[in-house]
Amino acid sequence: MEQILTVKNLKKSYGNMFAVNGVSFSIDRGEIFALIGPNGAGKSTILKMVATLLSPTDGKIDVGGFDVVKNSNSVREIISYLPEDSGAYKNLTGIEYLKIMAGLYNDDNKKQKEYIEKGKAISGLNSRLSDKVGTYSKGMIRKLLLARTVMIAPKLAILDEPTSGLDVINAMEIRRTIKDLTKQGMTVLLSSHNMLEIEFLSDRVAIIDNGKIHDSGTPSELKKKYGKVNLEEVFVEAVKPSFAQNKEIK
Amino acid sequence: MKKFLILLKKEIKELLTLQTILPLVITAGLFMFIGNIVSKEAEKTNKPQDVVLINQDNSTLSSFVVENLTKANVNVSLSTENDINKAISDARGSNKSAILIIPSGFEQAILSGNQKKIDVYTVINNFSISGSKNYTNLLAAFAVTNETLSNSLIKQKIVDINPNVIKNPLAQNEFIVVGDKKANASPNEIMGFVSQQTMFIPIILFFVIVFASQMIATAVANEKENKTLETLLTTPVSRKAIVAAKMMGAGVVALLASVIYIFGFKSYIGGITGGQKATEQTSQIISSLGLSLNTNSYILLGLSLFAGILVALAISLILGAFAEDVKGVAGLTTPLMIIVAIPYFLTMFTDINSLSPAMRYLVYAIPFSHIFMAAPNLFLHNYAPVIWGIVYQLIVFGLFVWIAAWIFSTDKIITMKLNFSKMRKFNKNR
Repeated sequence: MEQILTVKNLKKSYGNMFAVNGVSFSIDRGEIFALIGPNGAGKSTILKMVATLLSPTDGKIDVGGFDVVKNSNSVREIISYLPEDSGAYKNLTGIEYLKIMAGLYNDDNKKQKEYIEKGKAISGLNSRLSDKVGTYSKGMIRKLLLARTVMIAPKLAILDEPTSGLDVINAMEIRRTIKDLTKQGMTVLLSSHNMLEIEFLSDRVAIIDNGKIHDSGTPSELKKKYGKVNLEEVFVEAVKPSFAQNKEIK
Repeated sequence: MKKFLILLKKEIKELLTLQTILPLVITAGLFMFIGNIVSKEAEKTNKPQDVVLINQDNSTLSSFVVENLTKANVNVSLSTENDINKAISDARGSNKSAILIIPSGFEQAILSGNQKKIDVYTVINNFSISGSKNYTNLLAAFAVTNETLSNSLIKQKIVDINPNVIKNPLAQNEFIVVGDKKANASPNEIMGFVSQQTMFIPIILFFVIVFASQMIATAVANEKENKTLETLLTTPVSRKAIVAAKMMGAGVVALLASVIYIFGFKSYIGGITGGQKATEQTSQIISSLGLSLNTNSYILLGLSLFAGILVALAISLILGAFAEDVKGVAGLTTPLMIIVAIPYFLTMFTDINSLSPAMRYLVYAIPFSHIFMAAPNLFLHNYAPVIWGIVYQLIVFGLFVWIAAWIFSTDKIITMKLNFSKMRKFNKNR
């Protein structure tokens, strides 16, 4: 199987504090790989480094055969990133936003039209796409942004907390969309602290805390390994030694 | 290039909103409105002053005074009322601005070489400038009448002599020298006219720079706060194109805003100065001295302003990158505003060249000083300092663009922040 993303011994420090400390994993084409962990575990930092936003302090990230530090421009051609809690330009209409983003990914007008049509369909916003983004609800903005992220058919979609802050209905719709898109060959790296969501979406999971991966595998493998019924309990069990150690230090 | 144009369009669309334009249009409209009102008030005060005059002397000389006051734009209504309180009450009722009483014995006293005062009761209805203008106009009319009366008396007492020689034996013939040109005119009149014509230039320049700076810093902070910048930075667009589009977008909107503002402000200034136009003689003198801006001067002034705006935009882009959210922008851009204000006020109230060398070089080091110094230099045809000023501004601009591009091409754009509210909290808690 072709590997789309390879992360080796990745580190990111701010002063003496390591936000990410020696993380390694890889993702195959068409796979949904999830990083799960509490707030501040280092999930978003890893995603930002893969998305070329932050430079690693140490280690190596390879996306589709390109190094994120040395070939960041080539990496940006094949990835698409959805930041956590992000907004869109309030004074643009939904359709204007999709057009602008399509134009930034491809100079070819025909290709741009393809992206926009796909974006329109994925967003499900129909006639509301003609309204200004400033008039959208949080769920509508998230759908628009998800549509923008995946409409260009990236080799790797990086989704940071894709359903954070959304109601149950909107969250379910977005999860279903992500799942459907991977069936068409898209690879997804996502982060979440919602274990239920991860269990539903992911092919493989990495449990992360204090900047380190504590364990990884398919949800069923992990549940079996730790003898637990859900990922939430698996997570607690997996990070227990680190939690106890931190408590001692405090 | 295509991606740059897409980004530019996006920036302009984001900046050119009803919320941005409406306050400007309202401000410009208010300026026009105030200018219009002031202009109408000024017209009113230039009308002949309505006064009541009680001539208790009824002499040839008192009639001479009445006649000359009338010639000096005073509308005199004669009254025979002897009760001053009644006269005041009547005057107030008929909207007269003053009551003048020429006392009996006026002519006799003057002709015998003694002063005899005319009583002047000024009716004050308000304390505005237009209210005091009535009194000023009356004083001017008195001065003219006094001059005529004085000349007449001198002629009566000393035959065959020009009264001006007695009053002002020392008279000056005034010339103005500008560069290698000279003209026979009063410096006060010419300097007053030129400064009146150019007084709005620094105000507009200050406004444009402040507006552009605030706009781009807010735009960057807003993108950081909404995380739209994170999305933009992961697209396959060069970071330089992102920086350039942001600066150009803000520059275009700032220029448009300044046009609206200039339009309103010119109407305002036109109103408060009464749309004063140069007399034909003044125009000729100004032209012969070359004290007007030609096409080249306007191009240089425009280039200087443009270079200054570019510097302000580049600095503000960096400041915006430091902001964690839009609320933090005001605090971050305040030092820049102060730096712009220093040359603004200095050029309004003093000549930079008269400052001490240390202070002068400090002012020269501020890139915005060269914009404010450009207009006076261009009026005096000192092109070299203006050109060097533009070159210096462009060098400073290049330096700040390089810094901005570096910040945007590293993860500093995501990680660096200055949060004043957190800093305040930290200091409080310490």
